[in-house]
Amino acid sequence: MDKYDFSWRIIQENLPELINGLIITLQISVAGMAFALLFGLFFATLRFSQYRILNIVSNSIVQVGRSLPLFVLLFWIYYGLSLKFKINFTDFQAGALALGITGGAYMAEVFRGGITAIDKGQSDAAFAIGLNRMQTSRLIVLPQAIRIILPQTVNIYVGLLKGATIVSVIGVADMIYVAQYVSLETFRPFELYSFAGVVFIALTLSVASFAWLLERQLSGKSRRG
Amino acid sequence: MLEIKSVSKSFGELHVLKDVNLNVAKGEVVCIIGPSGSGKSTLLRCMNFISPPDSGEIVFDKVSWRSYRSKFNVLANLRYEKKLPQLRAEIGMVFQHFNVFPHMTTLENVSLGLQKVRKIKKDEAKQVATKSLEQVGLSDKLQVYPDQLSGGQKQRVAIARALALNPKVMLFDEVTSALDPELVSGILDEIRRLVREGMTMIIVTHEMKFAFQVAHRIVFMDQGKIVQVGTPAEIRNTQEPRAKAFLSSILE
Repeated sequence: MDKYDFSWRIIQENLPELINGLIITLQISVAGMAFALLFGLFFATLRFSQYRILNIVSNSIVQVGRSLPLFVLLFWIYYGLSLKFKINFTDFQAGALALGITGGAYMAEVFRGGITAIDKGQSDAAFAIGLNRMQTSRLIVLPQAIRIILPQTVNIYVGLLKGATIVSVIGVADMIYVAQYVSLETFRPFELYSFAGVVFIALTLSVASFAWLLERQLSGKSRRG
Repeated sequence: MLEIKSVSKSFGELHVLKDVNLNVAKGEVVCIIGPSGSGKSTLLRCMNFISPPDSGEIVFDKVSWRSYRSKFNVLANLRYEKKLPQLRAEIGMVFQHFNVFPHMTTLENVSLGLQKVRKIKKDEAKQVATKSLEQVGLSDKLQVYPDQLSGGQKQRVAIARALALNPKVMLFDEVTSALDPELVSGILDEIRRLVREGMTMIIVTHEMKFAFQVAHRIVFMDQGKIVQVGTPAEIRNTQEPRAKAFLSSILE
């Protein structure tokens, strides 16, 4: 085997594009996470509805959403909807939506777990002083559930962050796309992808430490009694 | 003031309440006793629809309340849901496991209902809440979170939280059962204070001595039914076999 000379210069030379790609990765994952939170909360709420039919619908959507490979979902949204129903999303929108649906399916379960972990006595007491359902969720149950939900939410975000790299297949110029593109010209995929890998490690670590700080903040202010 | 009219409730196959009727007058103290599983707590929870009865009616202050749930008319269900808090705000309830809100300070626990239900401004709500906490002897714990309170103190917070809303009736659901023995009498003293103030109260309890002391009437329940209602003297000398067996087993 030939000796392989690393050429990290390639990173330096293409740094602006790579950074641009990184920014797009971040944007699409954040947009995806925003959708995921909305979808997740919505479907978790349906799971708690008194109407059985809503429980079943929400449960099915969550199951399907969790089972579908992101890749397939992305193709359906980007090409399928466009071909069949003339609903056209930009590549960025399609990517964010696909991430949102997958993440939302997971978030629904996380929300449900967090909410069921709160003692029913808490909502009993809230109802007993005359709070309505909305107030009880917003003021009593959710603030307590957040401490359970937060660590898992961070996990899901890290998943979405990595999942966001798949949008390169529909031509979003994210960091992986840029790395791929540059390596076609320079024949230096190893350096480029390794760089991307290190960046993702750094990203994940910073997200995790941010979550850790947030968790500490929350538990300092309000412990379970 | 509070009338329970042929209330029934079941959890699946289990009939917890079978056609229960009870009238509670203004200023009256009613203690409900009976073996565990006899439906005492469920009856109490039906009164403010925390567990809505399957059938029957609760008449509170001349207004009738029934469970309502339409299978199809979602809007009607929502309208009904929206009315329930009005009833609940007039009925204070204290629970066996305190159920104080762990993410709020003592003061926030008590002022929450004042702000969100009674729509009182924050500053004024804090004043009322402070007063209410002073009355239960917690004026030095206003800014403390519940995890730094003893069980007895948590229960005092829960009592203050209910009383701050100035309810017309108070429901007590085995409020001393989860307390360490040495803390029980303090909470019972709080209830005695309310008896002296003439509060209408319905108390589910296992503290027999206390029940016979404070109650105007005692209700003995067994297997989802009210077996006997009477003054403490009448119940003490009851000839009803089940009540007699229960009392002799407990008053050893």
